[in-house]
Amino acid sequence: MPSAWLSTHLRAARPRVLAALNRAFGDIDLAEDAFQEASLKAVRIWQPHDLPKDPVAWLIVTGRNSAIDALRKRRRETLSAPEDLEPAHEENNPEEDLTEALDRSVYRDDILRLLFTCCHPVLRRDQQIALALKVVAGLTVEEIARAFLVQPKTMEQRITRAKKRLQAARLSYEEPDAAERADRLSTVANAIYLVFNEGYSASQGTALIKEPLCEEAIRLARLLVRLFPEIPELRGLLALCLIQHSRRIARLTADGQAVTLELQDRSLWDRKLVAEGTVLLEAALRRAKPGHLQIEAAIAATHARAATYDQTDWQEIERLYRALQHIRPSPVVALNHTVVLAKLHGPEFALERLDGLQSSLERYAGYFAVKGSLLTDLARTQDAYDALKRAFDLAGTDAERLHIEQKLQKLSKGA
Amino acid sequence: MLFSVLIYGSEDFYDALSPEEHQEILKKHGAFHERTKSDRTFAAATKLMSTGTAVTVNRDSSDFVVTDGPFAETKEQFMGFYLIDTANLEDAIEAVKELPFDNGRVEIRPVAYFEGADFQNAERLVIDAS
Repeated sequence: MPSAWLSTHLRAARPRVLAALNRAFGDIDLAEDAFQEASLKAVRIWQPHDLPKDPVAWLIVTGRNSAIDALRKRRRETLSAPEDLEPAHEENNPEEDLTEALDRSVYRDDILRLLFTCCHPVLRRDQQIALALKVVAGLTVEEIARAFLVQPKTMEQRITRAKKRLQAARLSYEEPDAAERADRLSTVANAIYLVFNEGYSASQGTALIKEPLCEEAIRLARLLVRLFPEIPELRGLLALCLIQHSRRIARLTADGQAVTLELQDRSLWDRKLVAEGTVLLEAALRRAKPGHLQIEAAIAATHARAATYDQTDWQEIERLYRALQHIRPSPVVALNHTVVLAKLHGPEFALERLDGLQSSLERYAGYFAVKGSLLTDLARTQDAYDALKRAFDLAGTDAERLHIEQKLQKLSKGA
Repeated sequence: MLFSVLIYGSEDFYDALSPEEHQEILKKHGAFHERTKSDRTFAAATKLMSTGTAVTVNRDSSDFVVTDGPFAETKEQFMGFYLIDTANLEDAIEAVKELPFDNGRVEIRPVAYFEGADFQNAERLVIDAS
């Protein structure tokens, strides 16, 4: 069992090492095994006070050599490998000759290629998330299965199928050019946001927040911001995750019930995360290339700025929702926009807007929850009750159901 | 004499720390704070936010250019730093334009933690040394 110290080092090096091995061999399975072998070797050799000069380079070279060994064994004959696949060194300081491979731009493209492979459009969203968590973040199949509340065996199959699908699609491992890079990065940014969201508001099951998923997403977002500081949407992504995550303690009561934004104790918000997120967002917005993640981060930042719920700058939030609806129209964005309009122009105005959305949000609990609370404000108790009942039936998590149930009870008490 | 103690480290490594490991490291800093305060060698402590928050201000012929991120390469050496208190990043960028840019650039990175401001004591330390 490696010490905590050593596994932290391996964890930190993992995305870069795995990305380099994936580039060298074009095979995620082989790269994962090679990283595993290199890690085992590191556990035997590394000492806390005698670390290789560049642990990442050490792991890449060691992993590369072990992958070549594995390929030889697999083919039961000497691999007639191109020169650059020959083991570079046997022992000692293998990192010395690797300066070229550690060039910053190579790192950037390696990581991007790895992330993009995991987030490839031939995969379903749940496969993308599972693969990214397994391959890039290095979570075990058990950990991912627990997060998604499925059996480890089911998750194993999901990941294996995803890898097969990637192979079947015969992905080319060409170098992404600058224009394509921006495109690919937005796919990757969205996938990381999905990981964060799965942690932030679980789509199913009993636990409302799965913190480790949020933390992994933040770690990946930080890595991307460091590698691609010139792409504002990545800073938007990190800003959004940090500001949302700052509320994690305030969002739940001691017994695990959800607390709405209105009722959250704002002194529990993590001000350090808010400050960092706000600065990141400010730096991103300087580029004047707004994307939906930057706008969502700006909405979160506006909420974070308000000392109390009553002091929220609803005008600003309404402007931001309008921008969001323009850049990335969706029924859920329109629904959230309606909630803000209710703050500014009253429930009646909002309710009218809401009617137009019903057909596209018929299966969405949030729609009926909003409708129910607007009707409550208008004292149309029976209609409110019907809407909330509908929301209750559609709700995906226990916490959500409990929350709606409380609203229903309040309604029948008031009536 | 005042000495600066500049901390370099791998952000990837720090991001990978568990809360317990993080706490372990903070404990050592805490002990350093306590010791240096009790023997009056403490002047100030500053922790910067992650490099992702950094912008770099450069002068290109006559115009100022703001680029994202910290220096990509470390051909320059770290030579000292100011602490300025502005309302936002925009004001900070405006403020640093007064500095000499002929042989270098300026990186602006927000402070995540600061303790100190015992400036009287710091001044006395400087005078004592001369």
